[in-house]
Amino acid sequence: MILQTIPGPIEDILKVFEYWDHILSGFIMNMWLYAFALTIGFILGLILALVRQYGGRVFSKVSTGYIEVIRGTPLLVQLFLLYFLPFSLNWPIGSWRLVSTFSLFDKNIEIIFFDHITLIGIIALSLNSAAYQAEYFRGAIVSVGGGQVMAAKSLGMSTIGSIRHVVLPQALRRVIPAWSNEAAYLPKYTTVVYFIGVKDLFREAHYIVSITFRSLATYVIVAIVFLITISIISKALDIVYSRTRIPGL
Amino acid sequence: MKIHDVWKSYENLEVLKGISFDVEEKEVKVIFGPSGSGKSTLLRCINMLNPPDKGEIYLRGQNLMSSDIDINLMRSRIGMVFQQFNLFSHLKAVDNVSIGLRRVKGMKKEDAYEKALQALKNVRMDAWANHYPAELSGGQQQRVGIARALAMEPDVILFDEPTSALDPELIGEVLQVMLDIAKSGTTMIVVTHEMGFARAVASEMIFLDKGLMIERGTPEHFFTSPQSERVKKFLNQLEVLYGSHEQLLQFKDKEEL
Repeated sequence: MILQTIPGPIEDILKVFEYWDHILSGFIMNMWLYAFALTIGFILGLILALVRQYGGRVFSKVSTGYIEVIRGTPLLVQLFLLYFLPFSLNWPIGSWRLVSTFSLFDKNIEIIFFDHITLIGIIALSLNSAAYQAEYFRGAIVSVGGGQVMAAKSLGMSTIGSIRHVVLPQALRRVIPAWSNEAAYLPKYTTVVYFIGVKDLFREAHYIVSITFRSLATYVIVAIVFLITISIISKALDIVYSRTRIPGL
Repeated sequence: MKIHDVWKSYENLEVLKGISFDVEEKEVKVIFGPSGSGKSTLLRCINMLNPPDKGEIYLRGQNLMSSDIDINLMRSRIGMVFQQFNLFSHLKAVDNVSIGLRRVKGMKKEDAYEKALQALKNVRMDAWANHYPAELSGGQQQRVGIARALAMEPDVILFDEPTSALDPELIGEVLQVMLDIAKSGTTMIVVTHEMGFARAVASEMIFLDKGLMIERGTPEHFFTSPQSERVKKFLNQLEVLYGSHEQLLQFKDKEEL
């Protein structure tokens, strides 16, 4: 017997999937922002944590202040402030652009990897993530403890040498479970760039809804895309953690 | 090594109030006294992990307090063994010992490894070279800690209550190792309450209380005719609480006691 009609919800989803090129390009944009924000946030966060812990009174205060300001204000506000700042200062950043187009199964996909709004999105997300990552790193650095630093110094290592050879190898291992929080939050946070006009998955979803009027199906798909992505990230970090675990600890 | 008139205070608390003594080559100096007397602080002043507020510390004629000295280099010539071992937990026993040779003395990986293994042999831990600290007992960890200090071939090794954090049955193996290296002619400054060890190898003992040197002398002096009441009382209490752990040590010739 042939199925005469496809059940409603399935039909909705299939309809939305006709716009898979939009879902794909939006998703790539989110992952693009995520990769940047996580990496830059990692480097900056590590520097912030080290400065806060070892930087001496003044620099430690500066680092702490930065972390508090970022953590105490909404990401969306930070994003908007950064968005309007260049215009206020008359910087010509509107002219910077890096666009990539390719075709896949006779659909043309265009991704704007760099223009001024993508750049601002990346900067805002990175600066924000750095503050949160810094706190995770600091926790891990503190947990390594002063005793081992003292031992390293007693061997004749400099402070920087002790940090590099003793503190960091342990702190970076210990931080993984806490840090995976940030790694799992950040993909979802990248959707805020929707508000400054970046063509991310959320914006593309909006577009699909405006054409197909199938809002429920569209957002279910968006949710599932994030769910799968984050599950993969979490699992991967679990594996990294168990691979790098120090025996006996 | 010469320690001259060392003062140190934290906030309003004066921890060391003018400590002076000399340590000759191959000497074993034992420092003891009640908790809070400043023993550990004194050791940390000596290798400048906690620089003194006032005073001078000389290692082979070089003043560690002078500002134009490479303090990291000087520290590499002063070994330290910690109460809580402070091994690097991400490194195997042998790497704990070789890291200083590689990163401070700039030795090649293979040479440092060889030397580290030799140092572990000296503390009878070579069989455990590839174990991580968390896989070792306290006594074994402390012996690795001693090997780590020994491998650097320092001019002097500081011991900060090396057996205080150990279970009673693990103290013996550590004391034995310390006894061996003391006899091999290593210059040592040892903060300990192990009076059996002190009696066996100390060239001089110093009793510290409230940041002051109350009494100093040979083990002979302390165990037969201590002068001050404070020392008598303290030694008495040690004896009552711990005994001297003398039976833990195996002496090659008994008359040393």
